Amino acid sequence: METFWILLVSGVVTVFFVLGVPIFLVIGFWVIGVSLVIDFTLANLGVTLFEGLNFFGLLALPLFILTGDLIKGAGIAKRLSEVAYSILGWLRGGLGMASLGACGLFAAISGSNSATTATIGSIMHPEMTKGGYDRNFAASTIAAGGTVGIIIPPSIIFIVYGFLMNLSISDLFIGGLLPGVMMIVAMQFVCWLICQLNGWGDLISIDLRRIVKTAIGAWIGFGAILLVIWGIYSGKFSPTEAAGVTAGFCTIVGLIFYPIYRYVHRNKVATPEQIEQEEAAVLSGADRAGIGNLAAEQYSDSTGYLERVVIPGFSFRELPDLIMRSGQITGVLAPLIAISVVMQQILTLLGAKEFFTDFVGGMGGYYAVLFVCMGIVLLAGTILESLPNTIIFAPILAPIAAQFGIDPIHFAVVFLIGDAIGFITPPYGLNLYVASGITGIPYFRLLYYTVPYFIALSLVWLVVALVPDISTVLLVHEGAGTFQK
Amino acid sequence: MQLLRWVDSNIERIIILVAYVFMAGIIFVEVIRRFLLNEQVAWSSTIPIYLFLWVVWIACAYNVRIRAHLSFDELRTKLSQRGQLLCLLLDGLLWIIFSVIVIYYTAQQVLLSRDNFAIVQGTDDVLQWWFYIATPLAFALLIFRVLQNVAKDVSDYRNGRPLKVQTSMLGD
Repeated sequence: METFWILLVSGVVTVFFVLGVPIFLVIGFWVIGVSLVIDFTLANLGVTLFEGLNFFGLLALPLFILTGDLIKGAGIAKRLSEVAYSILGWLRGGLGMASLGACGLFAAISGSNSATTATIGSIMHPEMTKGGYDRNFAASTIAAGGTVGIIIPPSIIFIVYGFLMNLSISDLFIGGLLPGVMMIVAMQFVCWLICQLNGWGDLISIDLRRIVKTAIGAWIGFGAILLVIWGIYSGKFSPTEAAGVTAGFCTIVGLIFYPIYRYVHRNKVATPEQIEQEEAAVLSGADRAGIGNLAAEQYSDSTGYLERVVIPGFSFRELPDLIMRSGQITGVLAPLIAISVVMQQILTLLGAKEFFTDFVGGMGGYYAVLFVCMGIVLLAGTILESLPNTIIFAPILAPIAAQFGIDPIHFAVVFLIGDAIGFITPPYGLNLYVASGITGIPYFRLLYYTVPYFIALSLVWLVVALVPDISTVLLVHEGAGTFQK
Repeated sequence: MQLLRWVDSNIERIIILVAYVFMAGIIFVEVIRRFLLNEQVAWSSTIPIYLFLWVVWIACAYNVRIRAHLSFDELRTKLSQRGQLLCLLLDGLLWIIFSVIVIYYTAQQVLLSRDNFAIVQGTDDVLQWWFYIATPLAFALLIFRVLQNVAKDVSDYRNGRPLKVQTSMLGD
């Protein structure tokens, strides 16, 4: 009888989900419904909404979100994109590959997939459209590129995973580094191949001076990346502290250099109206040929890409809006974490752990367990948001994997790459939504060019799963794991 | 009246900004102090967590107001105007039921914490319930925002204006 009611509750909330009720509420009502069915006190909900978030390590989440917003607000994301383009622009599909590279660089400062797609996408999609790429392909590229946001450290989901599974978040971050780079390279190869076949993109000649010049222009971004990686890798900071230091660094540097750069570039600044006009023209997708010609002119003088100077940094008055934006995103993600923790607790009460242990454990053997776990994560990732997916399945699957001798850090990396791939799998693929939102291209039209990226990512995933060293090789050093959670 | 209107449009912003800045600021300053001077106050790892509670739940209410909570809105955007309104009303109803339950149970925790004079670890006189109370207050605010939105949706529907069914995604 109980089973019937639980299934009924699950059915009802699934209908809520399909009707577009916020995911937080969908999980919330499942929790309330099932609690009532199994006669479990709802006071637990009240406690967990506090205690589920009461953990110092979790503070890295709002702080890394803030860092990402500061970097974006300071125009540094754009400068990082320019660096990537100056390095890759001589290849066919160079601008697309640069977008992927920029995703990787941005991911090394920010810890979120959707933020990576949103930030790099809003910069690079118009550029790719201008540069003679198919609009749908360009949008799929940034959606796929965003998946490294949570794999290349810092990463919001690694923080949550470490918090749940009592693993060192620093170790997890380091474990994600090489797989993240592999994902980028694999996607760049796909991009190159598709562009080669279709003849998309204009080429620019490679110019060392330009690489150096753009790299210097993006020094704040590289400074932030080095600060995060050095701080965590050397064990000097815990991830939360590293996040705090990086956010502080970006704020101070952004505020100090804004007036200086403004003075230096006082003659070359585009007016907001110019920027708006240009962007509106690209976004509307109208008259692509015309814009293409303009772009071609721009590219022909070899320094072309984005003549307009963006002043790095921000004024004091812009700061509240940047912080507010981080606060808003924190307000989307953190409640989802808290409520998913409650759901996890109830699933445990229902015996989900035993069920999965019997099911997955029954497969027997290291590889069978690994692959079944990967299958579950991927399947769940098509419908679930990444945070609930991690919070619900990590505590169930990770202990089983450990029983079969799978290294916990290796398993975490494999688990989370699967979770990251879930960002571009329909029906619920958050990166596809974000890409669709910023480009105005309908969601389902993005799927076509997402397939090759999906295949490339899956292959990387398989390799990472089969070769544990990729996730663990960097861990062998002094200072790793100094900051246990 | 003007004051009320100002509070209405700025309340979340002010709370989030203050809590966020102190949360990040305390961590930043204390890491630097530890690094340079080798000293650090005991509450530098506890107060920020409690400030985080304020940020999270007030921002949760704010996201209801600006309709930014994650959802699967593919189907909803394809419904008729009437279907969309019903979906929005369903959202509103669910938010209110959920909030009432949360307020009831979290308020109990706040009272419990207050009656025990529970203090924040690392401090002498900072009481926990000053921070715990963020959750019930935020959900009360959330109910208010839901009612405002529902009123707006019904009026939009009556006047034939398009309804806001699409979530404003994490992109701008």
